[in-house]
Amino acid sequence: MENGSIQRQLYVEASPEVVFEVVSSPEHISQWWSDSADLEPVPGASGEIVFGKKGAPGSHVAHVTVVEVDAPRLFSFRWVYPDGETPSAGNSLLVTFALVPTAGGTTIHLTEDGFREKGWEAAELEAAYADHVGGWDSCVTSLTKYLTQLVATS
Amino acid sequence: VTAATAATAATASIDDDLWSAVGDPTRRRMLDLLLASGDGTATTLSGQLPVTRQAVAKHLLVLDRVGLVHVRPAGREMRYEVDEEQLARAVAQLASVGADWDARLRRIKTIAETIARSKAK
Repeated sequence: MENGSIQRQLYVEASPEVVFEVVSSPEHISQWWSDSADLEPVPGASGEIVFGKKGAPGSHVAHVTVVEVDAPRLFSFRWVYPDGETPSAGNSLLVTFALVPTAGGTTIHLTEDGFREKGWEAAELEAAYADHVGGWDSCVTSLTKYLTQLVATS
Repeated sequence: VTAATAATAATASIDDDLWSAVGDPTRRRMLDLLLASGDGTATTLSGQLPVTRQAVAKHLLVLDRVGLVHVRPAGREMRYEVDEEQLARAVAQLASVGADWDARLRRIKTIAETIARSKAK
């Protein structure tokens, strides 16, 4: 978590064109992420992704603003920002899908940035807490392990 | 609702207020001090921090609003202690984010490869 970001890579046996379509089009986003998505893959466009049935109890609407679209290489958007505010580097998370042609398929390079600004350092706080108290239950112990892995892999 | 959907929904509803409450360095330092000593007041905390008692009181209000501290009257002052469950919850929300992207990427891979195979036929 050096730069306050999550970074992942995954090889997919499909062309960058196909992968780009899957990561950026609402019909596919509603399959891999939410239950429905209303989003135009156009820079500056704002849309929403809906978890559950919109308006139903327990449902949740997340606002998303598209930042960059460069088919079939790059798709990025911001989310997790306060309602009614314009998403920027200080108040949101930036998700970037960079697609690199690899051996007949595509490697997805995913990054999600902005955790430092949004309080990622709570993880450090948790470590300090463990030092002071030493009484975390097993759930939190595994959490600490998980956080360590997260830091080591990103 | 599948387990995966529930997990993504949980991430999507990351509590903005909770995040901004722990996102401030002074407030994190305050939580740290409260954890170290068990509890504290605006006066004891301001004695350990380079900020005024008034500023500490404001930060304590923010922490109280998101449930990260409990407050009880003690003489003429208010005494604060950390709500361990809420702190664990804040940390867990942060930790769940990475795991959620792994799951989403796996689904992206499955969908894209299914499309690629159907096109190749």
